Amino acid sequence: MKKLFVMVLCLALVLSTGSAFAEVIKLGGLAPLTGTYTEYGTGFEIAFNMAIDEINAAGGVNGYTFEIDVQDSEGDPVVSTTLATRFAEDDSVLAWLGDFTSGACKANAEICDLYGITQLSPTASAPDYASMSPYCFSIMGRQDIEAPFLAKYIVGKYLGCKTAAVIRVDSDWGLASYSNFERKAVAEGIEIVAHETYQTGETDFSSIVTKVRASNPDCLIVLDQGNSVAAVFNQADADGWDIRHVALGPGTSAQLLGQLTDPANIIVTSPFFFDKDNAEVMAWHDAFKAKSGFAPTIHPACAYDCVYLIAEAVKSIGDGELNRQTLRDALQNVEYDGLTGFIKFTPDGDISRNYMICGGTAEGWVVLEGFEYGAAGL
Amino acid sequence: MEYILSQLMNGLCQGAIYALMAIGYSVIVGVVGMVTFTYGEIMMIGAFGAYYTFLLVGNNLLVMILAAFAASFLIGIVVYKVCYERFFNAPRHISLLCTIGFSILAKNLAQIVFGPDTKPLQGIIDNRIFPINLFGLTLQIKLLQIIIIVLVVVLALALTLFFNRTKWGVMLRAVSQNREASYLVGINVKRVTMMGSCIGCAFGGVAGILLAINYFVVYPTMGAAYSIKAFSSSVLGGLVDLRFSALGGLTIGVIENMGISFSSASFRDIFAFGFLILVLVLRPQGFATKRGSRV
Repeated sequence: MKKLFVMVLCLALVLSTGSAFAEVIKLGGLAPLTGTYTEYGTGFEIAFNMAIDEINAAGGVNGYTFEIDVQDSEGDPVVSTTLATRFAEDDSVLAWLGDFTSGACKANAEICDLYGITQLSPTASAPDYASMSPYCFSIMGRQDIEAPFLAKYIVGKYLGCKTAAVIRVDSDWGLASYSNFERKAVAEGIEIVAHETYQTGETDFSSIVTKVRASNPDCLIVLDQGNSVAAVFNQADADGWDIRHVALGPGTSAQLLGQLTDPANIIVTSPFFFDKDNAEVMAWHDAFKAKSGFAPTIHPACAYDCVYLIAEAVKSIGDGELNRQTLRDALQNVEYDGLTGFIKFTPDGDISRNYMICGGTAEGWVVLEGFEYGAAGL
Repeated sequence: MEYILSQLMNGLCQGAIYALMAIGYSVIVGVVGMVTFTYGEIMMIGAFGAYYTFLLVGNNLLVMILAAFAASFLIGIVVYKVCYERFFNAPRHISLLCTIGFSILAKNLAQIVFGPDTKPLQGIIDNRIFPINLFGLTLQIKLLQIIIIVLVVVLALALTLFFNRTKWGVMLRAVSQNREASYLVGINVKRVTMMGSCIGCAFGGVAGILLAINYFVVYPTMGAAYSIKAFSSSVLGGLVDLRFSALGGLTIGVIENMGISFSSASFRDIFAFGFLILVLVLRPQGFATKRGSRV
């Protein structure tokens, strides 16, 4: 009798444990935890886990709790596709969040199609990314809006420049950003007097700086997200070149500001800013900083919103069947007012954002103009 | 023309750092007798050694260089013990694979220990520019470039003196030329070989801090791109000849920068390695001559 009781108890324990496992939604995470985009990848990982901890602490969604397995894609499309395939072949993974670069996300698009699994990128902004597959989504906004905004409002209106020199990373994202920037700049009567490219991870810009300086532009624009942004501007400063610095890509990165020899001379576009008057946003900012040791940009904030978007999608499914396809379909129709603003996907799977102008100071980033300079006027 | 001179100066500055890397690399290959693929990480460790010294004692370039030298010198012992000591009589690819493994391990450990983020290293050298008149043309030379080039020349001369005027230098050259004969005349070959590894690594460490000062940052993956440049420069100079290895590094630096000035920085490596291949096709021994001397 005692043996029977123990067996029943064990069986109950096994069944209850099995049931608990079945109620965990497993997500994959792709982030460049090492390499030139480390700041952003680390931010992704921390933000994903912050959101998941909050959701789980609040009891989960529809009886489900969440977990995420964040892997280091190194910002490399080849590594990213290997990891994406691993997630795709693991039936317990319902979707993955990431990757950081548009190039890596685009490389994964075919895997999403093949396995019918959603890739929700917090930051991919190449205009042709989300339309590559019905399973591809992004919430950063698109370069065919941000880059023209930079041309018209920062270079043209705010700085009043007639000529510009562009140095950009030679990648999918860099090309998309530049072609959209160039189109608008030409329309606005801004002449691009120099255009130089470099490979990801480049460190020596002395030759490029000397070269573009010879064209005597009114401002120097860098299109990239990683360490190279600071490297270009610092080497221009070291060259004794007194010119206004403009960047598209890094957002309001605290690490970028810390790396610059002249932080007060940079202007960037950003669709989002940690407004000191917004208590909710600043509470998140402080919580993130306490965990990471550095101030967040829009990139981890988008990563945080991505987890909540998945949670909203799960919530909208209700008692219905939850699988990769139903999650994707629910995500397409989600409307969510997140940390970075209101999010509703277009049929292609991306969103439209408005942008503002942020400038560096020795103390940190400040908004130079408000949302009235938004993309609506483009 | 002034533009060309400026680009030439950029190339000479970068080439000087490549030259220092190549000299250290050639010392390792010459004395140890095996190539290494952990050199980029040695440079990174040297740069971090200098960075933390900077945080500790403030801005003192000489102390920072000494710290980089010491940190990489000590790592040279570890590299020798792990990658070379047990494999002198084994097939060459064993130690080669060990250096590749050590490189990956060092890079990943550095990311854990130092953190994966990029650390700024600014204001080490004043941002001063000197206009120099050359036959009616004004060449703008940065103080940073002058210091880097002078430092590399001084270190190269010091190493040459060390090899030619000291007992240790003579022993290192002897081991480089013939290990068995060195053993027979009473030289402690193992200890001397380890010293060669350490000196080569130490020069890599100094090259690392010069890179960090030149680009204002230190980060764990900073050496990855430079390991292959050190190897290429050394190969261009005949692998074990210090003078020609230095010339190889200088040439690659100038070729890269002059190439970029007439095309795109995306083609940097095409110029460097295209030139390397061209030279090796025409002269498989690189710049080295028969009269050239080993380490």
